[in-house]
Amino acid sequence: MVSFTSLLVLVVAVFPVRVQCLWPQPTSITSGTTALNLSPRFYIQPDVYPPPADLLAAITQTELYLRTDSMQRLVLGRGAYDMSAVQSAKTLSSLVLSLEPGATVESISTEAVKALGTRSEGYTLTVPADGSTATLKANSTLGLYRGLTTFSQMWYEYNGQIYTVSAPYDIVDSPAYPFRGFMLDTARNYFPVSDIYRTLDAMSWVKINTFHWHITDSQSFPLIVSQYPELAQYGAYSSADVYTPTDIQNIVSYAAARGIDVLLEIDTPGHTASIADSHPEYVACNQATPWSTFANEPPAGQLRFTDPAVRNFTASLLSSIAKTLPSTVFSTGGDELNINCYTYDNQTQAELNSTGLTLEESLSVFTQATHGALIAEGKTPVVWEEMVLDHNVTLSNDTIVMVWISSADAALVADKGFRFVQAPSDYFYLDCGGGGWVGDYPAGNSWCDPFKTWQRAYTYDPLANLTTTQIPLVLGGEQLLWTEQSSPTNLDPIVWPRAAASAEVFWTATTLGGGALNVTEALPRLHDIRYRMVQRGVNAIVLQPLWCALRPDACDLNA
Amino acid sequence: MVPKLTFAFVTVLATFSSVDALWPLPTSLSTGSTALRLTPQFDIQVDVKGAPSDLYEAVARTKTYLWTDKLERLVVGRGSEDATAISNAKYLSSLTISLADSAEVRSISEEAVDELESRDDSYTLSIPETGSDAVLKANSTLGLFRGLTTFSQLFYYYNGEVYTLEAPIQITDKPAYPYRGFMLDTSRNYFPVSDLERTLDAMSWVKINNFHWHVVDSQSFPLQIPGFTDLAEKGAYSASSIYSPSDVAHIISYAAARGIDVIVEIDTPGHTAIISEAHPEYVACAGSTPWASSANEPPAGQLRFTEPVVVNFTADLFTAVSKMFPSKFVSTGGDELNVNCYDQDSVTQGTLNKTGQTLEQALDSFTQATHGALAKAGKTPVVWEEMVLDHNVTLSNDTVVMVWISSENVAAVAQKGFKVVHSASDYFYLDCGAGGWVGSYPAGNSWCDPFKTWQRSYTFDPTANLTADESKLILGGQHLLWTEQSGPENLDPVVWPRAASSAELFWTGPALTNVTTALPRLHDVAFRMRQRGVNAISLQPLWCALRPGVCDLTA
Repeated sequence: MVSFTSLLVLVVAVFPVRVQCLWPQPTSITSGTTALNLSPRFYIQPDVYPPPADLLAAITQTELYLRTDSMQRLVLGRGAYDMSAVQSAKTLSSLVLSLEPGATVESISTEAVKALGTRSEGYTLTVPADGSTATLKANSTLGLYRGLTTFSQMWYEYNGQIYTVSAPYDIVDSPAYPFRGFMLDTARNYFPVSDIYRTLDAMSWVKINTFHWHITDSQSFPLIVSQYPELAQYGAYSSADVYTPTDIQNIVSYAAARGIDVLLEIDTPGHTASIADSHPEYVACNQATPWSTFANEPPAGQLRFTDPAVRNFTASLLSSIAKTLPSTVFSTGGDELNINCYTYDNQTQAELNSTGLTLEESLSVFTQATHGALIAEGKTPVVWEEMVLDHNVTLSNDTIVMVWISSADAALVADKGFRFVQAPSDYFYLDCGGGGWVGDYPAGNSWCDPFKTWQRAYTYDPLANLTTTQIPLVLGGEQLLWTEQSSPTNLDPIVWPRAAASAEVFWTATTLGGGALNVTEALPRLHDIRYRMVQRGVNAIVLQPLWCALRPDACDLNA
Repeated sequence: MVPKLTFAFVTVLATFSSVDALWPLPTSLSTGSTALRLTPQFDIQVDVKGAPSDLYEAVARTKTYLWTDKLERLVVGRGSEDATAISNAKYLSSLTISLADSAEVRSISEEAVDELESRDDSYTLSIPETGSDAVLKANSTLGLFRGLTTFSQLFYYYNGEVYTLEAPIQITDKPAYPYRGFMLDTSRNYFPVSDLERTLDAMSWVKINNFHWHVVDSQSFPLQIPGFTDLAEKGAYSASSIYSPSDVAHIISYAAARGIDVIVEIDTPGHTAIISEAHPEYVACAGSTPWASSANEPPAGQLRFTEPVVVNFTADLFTAVSKMFPSKFVSTGGDELNVNCYDQDSVTQGTLNKTGQTLEQALDSFTQATHGALAKAGKTPVVWEEMVLDHNVTLSNDTVVMVWISSENVAAVAQKGFKVVHSASDYFYLDCGAGGWVGSYPAGNSWCDPFKTWQRSYTFDPTANLTADESKLILGGQHLLWTEQSGPENLDPVVWPRAASSAELFWTGPALTNVTTALPRLHDVAFRMRQRGVNAISLQPLWCALRPGVCDLTA
């Protein structure tokens, strides 16, 4: 019992200087050691004229989180030892939001889908310790939204009292990188719209601003395209496992209101076997066996991009989808093209013979057609790294490249002068380590073993091996969930809180002193956001025994 | 569109030739290819005089599952191709269940906690294709319960009809091994009683018959034990993160009514740091740092078993725990004893100096005291392998040993003549592969990498490297979930359907299991679990689940 008491003293002494509550950590923050209560009549006042509806909705949501999070501090006693400080604390009764002088009032949703690099996400937040009004200022409603997110993480609850022990707060914050994403594959297994909403909520809590939606693949085509309804009619897992045009619009607006742009990917020309369900003539090596000869996973099947009809179809398909979306970016995929599939495809070979083109030349023609269609719709194309590193394809200079095979490839993409997103499997793939999934293979392991822990992802250096002039090419990064072994039943625990790791890497980037991010400092804050996610209905996985979560550093390797 | 039709046709043919529905596979099974559907008034007749109430409850649950599972067949079309066969099918209106003439009528709950090797799980089930009554017979209500479980897996749903395509069905079934278990650690992180109930339900669906409950450890002590209530009062994570005596009684009866015995483990003398919250003087190296010098994981802390007061306390604790659990088995743990903790502990060293005993001799005295208390309470002790392989401890011959460090250690335990439960980390640990969890260690990986897939555990050979006589010592095996990185949020997907793979291995027996034909059935039981509210993980894209064999390695 002696040890119990002494531990408490230690904990109380450590915490005020180490604010445990915020994720991602603001780029500039000072906080104090004064307790401050939230008034039962606390309100948030928008000093913005006219206040956009989505800003008012965000305020209402923030006020709701403040009252319903019921988040106890992750310390021994869970807040019991804060009560004497709380009893004599001042009370905060309001937070006032305002835009900087000269700022144009636009909705969060409008700001959220502007071109990467042109969005303003910065804000300043001041919470005095004396109970006087807290203030949140920004150049945009999007910045105000980020500030509200920060504010809602500051508060704990004990015995009905909502409070902080770290007032006053002074925060000046803005992201280090414009792209902070999360990718979900909804083709290997389907996820209902409600799962996507919940995921968007969690993304917004850690200031992720891009939902990279790998919506279709060889296994299923759940996207109902108005102009091509047969694709989902025959390619979706069932008539219920689809995203209707209304679903898409709802998801896009739900995301935008939370500061999130939706980057849709229609992977081409590989990963398209499901198109054969409605257009068998467009697909080479459809379900050919053995699948491992023709594809990285079953089923085999790739678009016959040498065929003018397929080229026109694909360009028209992409443009008909892209024109319904407000985002300025759209991905045409381009990963894992299997050459063997085309080598054995009579039709492809005949077309190559008659045109005299090589497969690579034909791929370039195809890509220019599909990208041309997107550019005509005002979109910037996004591709996987192979389109730059493995193929001789002409791409417009502003094409954005996603590095996935290995972090070592980032420098190679930079050497070619393209802007890129860090999505390397050796750091950011959330599905690694789940064992092999193909059948009849008891010795099979995950191709990208081992599991990528949050600590692994968190220590990723986005600028490794890049020259100073290449640094501006790094747009940011994302963690990714491929869903061969995932579905609604494990979505939350496999994604959260791990995907928050890259959210902080690309928002905060460095410690306050400018040093590298530090897993030891981060862990208590990651526990905190994880427990808050659980309070808000997201089934984030536990990272450690609760014993460790209540005792920062006690479960560190050398503790 | 042509390929789609062809596909459906092939799949239907493939499914007729194998039974996708049952897990674990019965040891003797014959099926036909006739469609049969349930009448809306389908009933289960209990032809058992003085039938116990838990049998009636099991019957009621079975009837509920039949109508609420709504599981569509895992084929392209999800049963739409069966519509014609269904509309021409005969109706089954009744299943009659009865005991063999000589059988004594006892409750499922009593039979479930009988001496392990005396339980009778066997049953026969016959479903004619003519629509005449189906018949389930057994020597025990426990056997009837197993048969009801099988019956409830036979039927699919399409468009309002509940049907099978495989009548007539003849099953004669009994387990290959008496012990089929699942272990859950509720100390690293706490699980509410409702999570345990749901887990017990899922266990019963795959005929697992032992819940090995690693209830306490160094991190927390959630078990409220009469006479020792200060342990949970000071050692539980919170006043609400406890298992009260009434919770325990409820869990035991919930399990027993589902054919499951609850084997409680109070891990001693290691893994006991949390006891120091109530009794600091009983625990050596409590919270000592660096933890890595004194324990395999934080926090360090082990019972001072050299102290007579600790010996008496622990023996009394086991006596009290024995009264809470009707099972014949109680585990005293005994894994990962850290000798350095005692080398550095002046109290321990002082006592050893005074008594002239070695540490191993003192451990022997301690173990005989705790096991003696169990024997007095009519319990058979269960221990982890180190108590046999690493320590000089006298154990009674009937002690059951769980091999966890490596499957290669099984032979050594068997050579010592002890009964064995397979629990090897290299096959059955569900937590492996999820990365390292200690802080400040970005390069840390799971100590037992890689992830143990269902295929890995399913292909385990229970009698590898054993003589015929040694093989008789194998009681069975279990999957285990240690919960440093698990909580209620991921319980279902990390456990299910993987833990079903050992359930089939030890029920059906390795001679009849085949990883290639198992996969469609494992998909089936996983989808049925989801229909029943258990969040079993997806093993493959749905595309593969609907096309048996097509996503195999060399397909």
